[in-house]
Amino acid sequence: MKVLLIIPAYNEAENIEKTVKDVVTNTNYDYIVINDCSKDNTKEVCERNNFHMLSLPINYGLTSAIQVGMKYAYQNNYDIAIQFDGDGQHQAKYLKDLVKEIESGNCEIAIGSRFVNKKKPFSLRMFGSMIISICIKLVTGKKVKDTSSGMRAYNKYAIEQFAKNHSLTPEPDTLVYMMKKGMTVKEVQVEMSEREFGESYLTLFKSAEYMLNVVFSILFIRSTTKKKGGK
Amino acid sequence: MSITLRVLLIIASFFSFLLCLKRIKQEKLKITNSVVWMLGSLSLVLMAVFSNVVEWIAVKLGFIAPVNFVFLVMIAFLLMQTFIDNIRISALNEKIKDLNHYIALKELEDEDK
Repeated sequence: MKVLLIIPAYNEAENIEKTVKDVVTNTNYDYIVINDCSKDNTKEVCERNNFHMLSLPINYGLTSAIQVGMKYAYQNNYDIAIQFDGDGQHQAKYLKDLVKEIESGNCEIAIGSRFVNKKKPFSLRMFGSMIISICIKLVTGKKVKDTSSGMRAYNKYAIEQFAKNHSLTPEPDTLVYMMKKGMTVKEVQVEMSEREFGESYLTLFKSAEYMLNVVFSILFIRSTTKKKGGK
Repeated sequence: MSITLRVLLIIASFFSFLLCLKRIKQEKLKITNSVVWMLGSLSLVLMAVFSNVVEWIAVKLGFIAPVNFVFLVMIAFLLMQTFIDNIRISALNEKIKDLNHYIALKELEDEDK
């Protein structure tokens, strides 16, 4: 199966080299770095190392970066697309576990989860994650433990959905949409490291806005998704 | 409605109408976008001229003062306008995003060749 790693990068000059080298040495999958018009020299670092990179002319945020990656995956006929953070938090050695799950037909979407057989630590962040978990359970009846994990593998059908439906984001509400479309989501235990350099997309101030958006979307918008046709 | 309010409404509509015309002439406003504003100012004039009709409707609907009814109409009009603008901005946003993606994908395609 053709596998593509989508690595979104915004101002990740210090992390991107390590991330891509991790990917190249530990897997033999194709990858694409999506440079979301970084203000630092992410682009130069990628060019110097001859990384496979798609460079957006305007900064449009994480959602747009993932979407363009999905479009690329769709156009180039990939069977599996995996969202993989460019900030060094994800480890490439776990990717094959996600791919294996989809390849064996166990699920359509595999999430690299920190909490399959480990307990969630208690923090404000995890409290938010818990609320989203409860919302997902309410709407779909299924359990997703690590909702905020950015390591997600999608099969061909899900890639097509992403490429065609512009409202899909790389956020938990999209999982609800996909589940409502009849896809199965499975979590695979992975480890994640703390980010070493730079800032996350999610600043503390934006977290509240994020929670509101995701919760509203899950409860009122994605919950009404029809299995076939329409949005 | 008091005479002062009626005069004020007419003057304000007159000037907003003129402003619309001026901006169209300067090509800063598209005619399709300006029509709704001109209609809005015309309806203010109508409300000022036929204030007895406004008063009759306001009383029938149970407003304490007819002027409240005038304000409500204006607020509803503005809310509608912002909502429509919001939809337009969302659509524009999607279009720019698509262009953004298209350019990036095209550049990569040319590079890979």
